[in-house]
Amino acid sequence: MTTGSATTVMPPTSGTSRGSKGSGASSVQGGWRLGDAVLGLACRGSAALLALMLIALIGVLLHSAWPAIKQFGPGFLVSSEWRANEIERPLRDAAGAVVIRDGEVVTETLAPAFGALPVIWGTAVSSLIALVVAVPISLGAAIFLVRVAPKLRIAGAASFLIEFLAAVPSLAFGVWALFVLAPFFQEHIGPWLLRTFGEVHALRWMFYEKVTVAGRTIERPIALTGRDLLSGSLILAIMILPIITSVSRDVLRTVPRAQIEGTLALGATWWQSCMAMLRYGRSGLLGAIMLGLARAAGETMAVTMVIGNNNQISPSPFAPAQTMASVLANEFGEATEGLHRAALLYIALILLAMSLVFNVIARRLVVGRAARSPGS
Amino acid sequence: MSRAILLVLALGQMLVSLAGAADVRLSGAGATFPAPLYTRWVAEYEKTHPDVKIDYRSIGSGGGVKALIDKTVAFGATDAPLTEKEIAAMGGTDAVVQFPATLGAVVPAYNLPGVSKPLNFTGAVLADIYLGRISTWDDAQIKQLNPDVNLPKTPITPVFRTDGSGTTHVFTSYLATQSPEFKGEVGLGKQVKWPLGQGGKGNEGVAAAIQQTAGAIGYIEHNYAVANKIAYGAVKNKAGKFVLASTQSVSAAGDASSDGMKGTVLRADAWNAAGDESYPISAFTYIVLYKQLDNIKSANEATALLGYLRWTLGPGQKFAPEMDYAPLSEKVRAAANAAISASTHQGKAIPANP
Repeated sequence: MTTGSATTVMPPTSGTSRGSKGSGASSVQGGWRLGDAVLGLACRGSAALLALMLIALIGVLLHSAWPAIKQFGPGFLVSSEWRANEIERPLRDAAGAVVIRDGEVVTETLAPAFGALPVIWGTAVSSLIALVVAVPISLGAAIFLVRVAPKLRIAGAASFLIEFLAAVPSLAFGVWALFVLAPFFQEHIGPWLLRTFGEVHALRWMFYEKVTVAGRTIERPIALTGRDLLSGSLILAIMILPIITSVSRDVLRTVPRAQIEGTLALGATWWQSCMAMLRYGRSGLLGAIMLGLARAAGETMAVTMVIGNNNQISPSPFAPAQTMASVLANEFGEATEGLHRAALLYIALILLAMSLVFNVIARRLVVGRAARSPGS
Repeated sequence: MSRAILLVLALGQMLVSLAGAADVRLSGAGATFPAPLYTRWVAEYEKTHPDVKIDYRSIGSGGGVKALIDKTVAFGATDAPLTEKEIAAMGGTDAVVQFPATLGAVVPAYNLPGVSKPLNFTGAVLADIYLGRISTWDDAQIKQLNPDVNLPKTPITPVFRTDGSGTTHVFTSYLATQSPEFKGEVGLGKQVKWPLGQGGKGNEGVAAAIQQTAGAIGYIEHNYAVANKIAYGAVKNKAGKFVLASTQSVSAAGDASSDGMKGTVLRADAWNAAGDESYPISAFTYIVLYKQLDNIKSANEATALLGYLRWTLGPGQKFAPEMDYAPLSEKVRAAANAAISASTHQGKAIPANP
């Protein structure tokens, strides 16, 4: 309610201030001109500064990531080996026997290797699961806010609560996930899942992991700890709910009244008219989802606390994973060795590029939608 | 009340500086693992030497060495001894003084409800747990080491450090001596690629994962495990005895492995040390400085630095066990003092502290 009334009051206020400025301009014109010029310059400067900061950020990232870009190239994106240490081990021939030359064991040294595939996988899968969970809830909430809440006179309060969720620091979500969600999963849901589905052969990939060491593969049960890909995804889902909901609400508000009433007049049920509404706003809604995706991909602290932090690609949602943002949070502080640091910055660069792309697409979709419905 | 005391102290300090007392400021940076002890040392030393101010920043071993190479600090601190590359960056072996300041240990900590007696481990079993070969607590290999413990069927969740750390370096270095397979597959270093398990950032991250997961095992620093009352096991040493980490057993490991300490660049791997009492996953942590202390402005400051460092090797050592660090043995302290005494300032020998 309060926010609604505030927005209706705003335009007249700005109108009067413009009016007073106009009347004053005739008396002290020179003074205003100077003020305008200064303010204009300051505004342009601020805008330019923001753009410059982004360009500088990309420049610095490119520069610092360069050693890794040069060494790994685009293959970085598809390599799954992430190892910061050198390994010295006996050289083995094709048959697996240790090579001995002049009575001495020949050793080989594996240089540190860095590949981003596991963290790209972790980011993609956790973001997708988060979207699958968050999108239906968000769209439902947005429809409620646009079509039901105003009738109940709680649109303002409901909007406020949903937007307030966006203001909760991510650390708070992380702590909640670590101390409430994970133990609950470990004690109640995990054992139930194991009892119910643990012996189902078709679901074996979920509950068992394959560990390959020295060419020998062992299948072992995954401990259901509650700190895994699924927990990380659920936390992400909660965190992207507010942004998807509020942008979707704004998009649905632009659907012309005539459109909705037209569907009802044609005999559509309430449900059908809501679906028509979603169809009408689909590109804007897609934009809202993209914004949520961008936020999910970049989210760091809460995810780092519950995702298990293992740079691996596992098909199971119960296996620990790692995202691009969480590997940076985990490793950047102590990564003093040159190539390791550069590889982490390479990931940062990819992450930045990804969010830029998501954001640009999202803006185009949302803004494009608004531009096509000037009537609203 | 406390504010009044602070005010008096501040006034007193002002008077001292007004009186023109030779205030010496020294800065050091590096390893986080010994930082609690170093902070205590500084506090204790400043009590008896009010004219010396020492500032230690725990920014990590790598950062400390870098700061010393950049000559922005008087001394650096590192868990892993300097690498050849780092020594070369400082000007070669003849330009460097490196000595151990104290010893720490890494313990296998676990969460097994119902098991109260410390479990026994061997390096080979720990390696197999981290390689995924041993997947439940009632595995025959663990049972064999703990015949009188009723071990549950709980799956084992290995927990590791995700950030580069001296703790990982010590733990993997020890396991590499015990399992050739571990050495060839995982290798050793500040950060390695673990084939399975959960990652936690810092001791606190690993400890949180252990405490929250029944069946978890992880490696953490001994003093952290003691301070947070996390159960940890005994490890079989080179002499075949199961030893729990304690300041005595870690000191013993340091003493047993210090024979090779000669010259000014002292280092010794204290893991897998000989001796019945030695705890096998022990390690020295080092302080590093330039032999020619020309990165320090005045002879006065150089004298103060050496005075402080000698104090840490002397009276300072008694604070180590209070904070669950292991004091250096007589033999190691003698070698360290000899290394420090080789330092010069502007080509002149530095006098012993008055």
